[in-house]
Amino acid sequence: MISLMDHIPILLIAIPILMAAIMIFLRSIPALQKALNVLVTFCMLVLSVILLEQVWTNGIIVYEVGEWGKYGIVLVADLLSAGMVLLTLFVSFLSLVYSLEYIEERSLNSSYHSLFNLLMAGLTGSFLTGDIFNLFVFFEILLLSSCALVVANEKGGVTKSSDKMEATFKYLVLSMLGSIVMLIAIASLYATVGTVNMADISVKVSAMGAAGTLPWHIYPIALLFIVVFGNKAALFPLHYWLPDVHPTAPSPISAMLSGVLIKVGVYGMLRVFFLMFTVTLPMFQKIIIPLSLATIIIGAISAVGQTDVKRLLAYSSVGQIGYIFLGLGMGSVYTVAASLVYLVNHAFAKSMLFLTSGGIIHHAHTRDMDKMGGMIKSSPLMGTMFLIGAMSIAGFPPMGGFIGKFLLFDAGINEGFYIPIAIALLFAVLTMFYMFRAWMKMFWGETRDTKKYGEYSSHALSPLLTMPIIILALGVIVFGVYAEPLIALAQATAAQIIDPQPYIDAVLTRVVR
Amino acid sequence: MNNTLLSFTIAILFGFGTFLILRRDIIKVIIGLGVLSHAVNMLIVSVGVFTGTKVPIILGSHGEHGASGASGTIFNDALADGVLAPVVAAGTHIDYVDPLVQALVLTAIVISLATTAFILILAYRIHEEYGTTDLRELRRLWG
Repeated sequence: MISLMDHIPILLIAIPILMAAIMIFLRSIPALQKALNVLVTFCMLVLSVILLEQVWTNGIIVYEVGEWGKYGIVLVADLLSAGMVLLTLFVSFLSLVYSLEYIEERSLNSSYHSLFNLLMAGLTGSFLTGDIFNLFVFFEILLLSSCALVVANEKGGVTKSSDKMEATFKYLVLSMLGSIVMLIAIASLYATVGTVNMADISVKVSAMGAAGTLPWHIYPIALLFIVVFGNKAALFPLHYWLPDVHPTAPSPISAMLSGVLIKVGVYGMLRVFFLMFTVTLPMFQKIIIPLSLATIIIGAISAVGQTDVKRLLAYSSVGQIGYIFLGLGMGSVYTVAASLVYLVNHAFAKSMLFLTSGGIIHHAHTRDMDKMGGMIKSSPLMGTMFLIGAMSIAGFPPMGGFIGKFLLFDAGINEGFYIPIAIALLFAVLTMFYMFRAWMKMFWGETRDTKKYGEYSSHALSPLLTMPIIILALGVIVFGVYAEPLIALAQATAAQIIDPQPYIDAVLTRVVR
Repeated sequence: MNNTLLSFTIAILFGFGTFLILRRDIIKVIIGLGVLSHAVNMLIVSVGVFTGTKVPIILGSHGEHGASGASGTIFNDALADGVLAPVVAAGTHIDYVDPLVQALVLTAIVISLATTAFILILAYRIHEEYGTTDLRELRRLWG
């Protein structure tokens, strides 16, 4: 049992890959397939809780795959990695439970479970790896599996198959270009420093920076990494694929994409700029603050005009990712901690809203908000849940989103970034407007014209659909009412990010502090 | 001379791939992506050509736990001398090709195979749904 606990980092990657293979063989026995997948995902969730607890008490865990030291692949679990893995698996577990009822039988029984496992492997792998090339490999795993999941069919079929194809094509081509750019960056970096281990790169780049022999092409490499991770996270000039892909995906997959997958880009930025290229941080800040403000503005303005509920949520994701990057760009312990709190709250609220939008689509058989209205009478549960999510995204006090926004603005004012914070605050008001406008359009007012658009479904939602939403809603409220543990964790994580020395020591000399 | 030729080849492939992915036909876009990924593969391989003493290989046998000198494993990492790659002991002059980049490029080739297969199937399905391979016709969604 002790030895098993030592191998948690590799287990979190190996188990889903193994399960992906097993699920293909079990496709003739759907009941077993479902039960096994839910059980194993729950076990992984438990493992990730244990991992975070171990990292919190014992410091950074380094796991060598193949025992080649820093020349081989290392898996590193620091607070950021372990926390992101826990968040990923929590959202994955709930999305998986939700999709058992939501996804159409034929899609679900053939390949859905395998692909979902591969997606989880890609996510946990990219959070845990300590090797920049390995990060690329896991990016490709999660890219391919998420593309295949976007085209999975939901029950009822409100989204046309051709729309899914078009959106996936856009997503795939852009992401492939992103991977090509990432490979160029990695190759140039390897030619410069002769290693692909993140901690080793960090030591060498800082040594060159201190000696004054830093080659100029470190800066273009850093810029290429901004393009790569900006593309993953939908930062402003590279955001236009997101509002097509996230709404066309089935709701549980939208929840995964918006809740967790775009955060991989944030994670990558944190690793590359706060660990590897600490010398380029001043340049990073000058670029990332204007870009994040532009992202906030574009996301908020575009969301106001939407009539499709999932499209509105997707544009809102674009806007919210801007706030997270704003915190990173300001670059002190407090602002990074604030943006981590924001990230967790956004992951909870947005995945909950996407799952709720699945329930709404189930109820109204359309995604168009103009064809809804007065649903608070026929579907009070979905109304309440959407309201909780909308309040959190808009930043209203009892919800988690308020804590995130409050900390972010407070941190920004502490650091003296008055104008960026003023712009962000202005567009936070717009966020409030579009979220509540959507809620009122769907749930208040007269019931829709039943002759024209048909009756609302009187079919009650199964507990498999409602329970994940309720659990996430409880999470949103708990993070708003009792936020201290999350803030303490975020502070410790941010301190570890800003001072990468413990990470480097843990990887290179095995000194765990 | 050799390096110049290699650099030109890579540059031309990049240009060619970029030209192709700006075309309107889906198949041409996919071919362009393939050409681009091969250009990147050549770039990675070209990174691994070293001459002189900067040879990033490991001397000695495979150690128990990485960078411990006691176990017989030698990772010569002469950061103090301004040498960044792991090097063999000074005095020996050999031309060598970095084995690591070959492993990297193998991985990259396999990954681009998988993505190309997926995108070709996607293109086929798009052709079924829309009846065309012209990207201008694919405009039901507006970013």
